[in-house]
Amino acid sequence: MSGNGAAEIVEKALREGRRTLSEHESKQVLARYGIPVTRERLVERRQDVPKAAGEIGYPLVMKGCSAGIAHKTERGLIHVDLRNAGEAVEAYDAILAGMNGEPGGVLVQEMVRGRRELVMGMTRDPQFGPCVMFGLGGIFTEILHDVCFRRAPLERGDALSMMGEIRGRGILDAARGMEAADRDRLADMLVRVGRIGLDLDAVAEIDLNPVILAGKNPVVVDALVILDVPRRKL
Amino acid sequence: MTNKVKDKAGRVPAADPFGTADFERIFHPRRIVVAGVSSEGFSYGGALLKSLQAMGFEGEILPVNPRGGTFSGLPVFPSVEEIPGSVDFAVIAVAAKAVPAVLEVCRLKGAAGAEIMSSGFSETGTPEGKALENEIREIAARGIRVIGPNCFGIYCPRSGLTYLPNPDLPRESGPVAFLSQSGGMASDFANAGKWMGLRFSKTVSYGNGADLREAELLRYFREDGETGVIALYIEGVGDGDAFFRELRAAARKKPVVVLKGGLSEAGGRSVASHTASMGGSGRIWRSILRQAGAVQVEDMTEMAEACLAFSLLPKRAVRGISVTGGGGALGIAACDAAESMGIAVPPLGDGVRKEVLALLPRSGASAANPIDVANPYTPPETLKRILGIAAREDGIDLQIMVFLLHHFKHIALTEGKPIAEVVPCAAFADSMADVVRETGKPVCIVLPNTKRGIEDLDIVALHARARQAFLERGLPVFDEIRNALRAVGHMNRYYGGKEGNP
Repeated sequence: MSGNGAAEIVEKALREGRRTLSEHESKQVLARYGIPVTRERLVERRQDVPKAAGEIGYPLVMKGCSAGIAHKTERGLIHVDLRNAGEAVEAYDAILAGMNGEPGGVLVQEMVRGRRELVMGMTRDPQFGPCVMFGLGGIFTEILHDVCFRRAPLERGDALSMMGEIRGRGILDAARGMEAADRDRLADMLVRVGRIGLDLDAVAEIDLNPVILAGKNPVVVDALVILDVPRRKL
Repeated sequence: MTNKVKDKAGRVPAADPFGTADFERIFHPRRIVVAGVSSEGFSYGGALLKSLQAMGFEGEILPVNPRGGTFSGLPVFPSVEEIPGSVDFAVIAVAAKAVPAVLEVCRLKGAAGAEIMSSGFSETGTPEGKALENEIREIAARGIRVIGPNCFGIYCPRSGLTYLPNPDLPRESGPVAFLSQSGGMASDFANAGKWMGLRFSKTVSYGNGADLREAELLRYFREDGETGVIALYIEGVGDGDAFFRELRAAARKKPVVVLKGGLSEAGGRSVASHTASMGGSGRIWRSILRQAGAVQVEDMTEMAEACLAFSLLPKRAVRGISVTGGGGALGIAACDAAESMGIAVPPLGDGVRKEVLALLPRSGASAANPIDVANPYTPPETLKRILGIAAREDGIDLQIMVFLLHHFKHIALTEGKPIAEVVPCAAFADSMADVVRETGKPVCIVLPNTKRGIEDLDIVALHARARQAFLERGLPVFDEIRNALRAVGHMNRYYGGKEGNP
């Protein structure tokens, strides 16, 4: 859980005057803390697409990747289930056109298969410091608000108890042919998200959404790290 | 908090943030200064002094007013300096501007602590108020522990110290400690506890909390042998980190029941992520309290009922219950409430059921569990036998007995007697106490009263007397089945959680 190199990624972004990390940078920070993220390559030249796609393996997902881009779905910057080099290059062209010249690149990413989407995150409470969130992810995060928090540092028991606290806790059990989620792995991820909050003061907020259960294994599919947004006391 | 140097584990180093306090002399003072008594009209100091006398405070009360004279039969000292010898504790109710000087003299006189009832400090939000409170803090740091300012002080049954307008709180001690940011809540809770059957070890209204406040008091009550359950009313905390650590440590040792005021979401925070937008103060607070292992309640009644259950019932989780009373609807309501709390109402086994049925009227009764006795006048001895038999069921850890006492009005009218004479309160209470003693399984009493109007004051009074009869025998009493089960649910979460099976 060393986080080696994570601080450098954050510092570089701050030096560039940025308030967010791109999805790719965000995942690099997570990966340095041992949190499982999608396998992916950032591609900045059209001719590199086939090679990157081959390394990741089909089918794959491609996304516009820039620190300035939010709402990728709404802007048509996510292309899924690409099955060959031709489709990948076509997607590259479409994404680049949609980015309107914003700096950044295109992420070539493994397509994680799983019907269950979770959310994890970190926010700073004025009174209690970094607090870790866990709950239902994807579109349900905003619709159901079925989430709970724990103050960092999380003990293992704290993280496990979060999984029993949300109303939708049954989603973690074995059901309809799906395996029970790996709760130990989920707990481990939550502990590590809290660790990032304790280690990196410049990280103001983190969203990991969705965290998809691929079988029983959780993988962070999209990530957003917000840096040092000025906060006022409540 | 986040600026402090962290250790490798990311925690602020565990240097003890608290000073030392001689709590024994603060809660049980032998010589107490009351600064700010006035013989002309109402004064807070004067009101408190008279309350101390009414409570039968055994120590020496030393009133202070520059004009001297006498007050309520006691000689008044013109200043604290002129009091001979040393003092243990001080009640300060002088104008805010005069408080620091009085506090300093109390310190020099050897007082271990002082409660400052005066307002006009940080709660005003003015620079003058804040500066005055800082002065208090500086004096406190030199060796006198301060409760307040802007508070109602201490109520301690054993010594007779009492809150500001409360001359008539019980002197009987019990296991409940209470810490309250709000003086009004402190007073309300003490008064509600008085008739609901709570007995207190020590209670503190700490107001602005310039010096002593929630975290340090939690640590004290965690170790206090007289305290078995801690109740806490807070709106905000001084140091979130210290509060969390002390709350968690206290909750690992004894139940801590927390009523948090101000849980509505604060709007308008500038945040960029979904996580932060959902992490408003209310949601974070609830999560933090749960993480610390505290028992969360939504209002004062629920807090009192939880404290009553923790005070009087065995310290363990309850798997299943029996419910005995009259009326099918009540029984169904009991089952619904129990299920929502995760408490079983197991059917009685055949043998037990037949034995119970033999004691019941032939028609209208049911011995399934809930047990419907179908007769509100069932004699105490019969109820005792029914509960004694039902207790043999393995899955029943606790029994609930519902008395519908208002039905006795009919008998009172028929016999032309006051209702108090036709209800065998003491015999009912004795029979239930016998059940507990003979079966080793606790009994909760429920006394619903649908007749509370002005024409039924005799029934209201009857319920108060009945409640007292049960409480005197150590049996907790609740107004409704749902309230009893909610309190048991809190016990289950606390003791169940500790055993690792939520």
